[in-house]
Amino acid sequence: MFQYEKKLQFPVKIKNPNPKLAQVIISQFGGPDGELAASMRYFSQRYGMPLPELKGLLTDIATEELSHLEMVGAIVYQLTRNLTIDEIKKSGFDKYYVDHTTGIYPVAASGTPFSAMYLQSKGDVITDLHEDLAAEQKARTTYDNILRLVDDPDVREPIKFLREREIVHYQRFGEGLQLVTDKLDNKNFYAFNPSFDKNCFKNCRNRMK
Amino acid sequence: MDKCKLLRELSAVKFAAWELHLYLDTHPCDEKALEMHKKYSERAKELTEEYEECFGPLTHKSGSGLAWIKDPWPWEYKECDC
Repeated sequence: MFQYEKKLQFPVKIKNPNPKLAQVIISQFGGPDGELAASMRYFSQRYGMPLPELKGLLTDIATEELSHLEMVGAIVYQLTRNLTIDEIKKSGFDKYYVDHTTGIYPVAASGTPFSAMYLQSKGDVITDLHEDLAAEQKARTTYDNILRLVDDPDVREPIKFLREREIVHYQRFGEGLQLVTDKLDNKNFYAFNPSFDKNCFKNCRNRMK
Repeated sequence: MDKCKLLRELSAVKFAAWELHLYLDTHPCDEKALEMHKKYSERAKELTEEYEECFGPLTHKSGSGLAWIKDPWPWEYKECDC
């Protein structure tokens, strides 16, 4: 089960609203490499994880991604507070405003609404962990792109924190992949689906011989 | 006690404990990390109690009603330095 903690993982305190920035940063809320996709990906994939280390890791990273979703929501919310109609028109925020006012909606910077098509849950631990490694790098690149578009230190600091988390998660998923492949036939990791074929781990196979 | 200073310290300690928790998923027998995790978790517990006593509940376990719904919520802009 889940419980809410009434604080952000890292503080978000943006003095100056900037609806133009909000329109690109919202991609990490509901876009293809955003935090919602990340959280749903790991929560969905964890059921197919064959090792306790991986069940823990996917559960914990999925949970942390929800707190990142909350941070990105806070950034977009604070960047769009107290706007005048003139500011909305000038910044190009009018296209978002017409559908959502200043509500926070999971959508990509391009305007495409969130979709489960952004993620996969393949039921194969090796396949899923490779997707997870790629996902962390894609999110890291997105944060790098955002940092190139942003000068305001109030916005840069939480974005830099989120970027660093992608790198740490990538490291942990890499260790997870190592843990699972160490337990498989190292001549051919792909002879089995370790999430489906329960007897493919080294110890079981040796016993079967 | 300064609310923002305390929240900042609590967040830093909680983050250290969380980072060690993730590390321990893939290194569950690392004695040094287990020890550090224990140390940071204990400190986080003390700071949480201190914060909640002055500024209200952080989770539903520590309070309900007016104390829980009190503004500001975490996503709201605050004038203070935190």
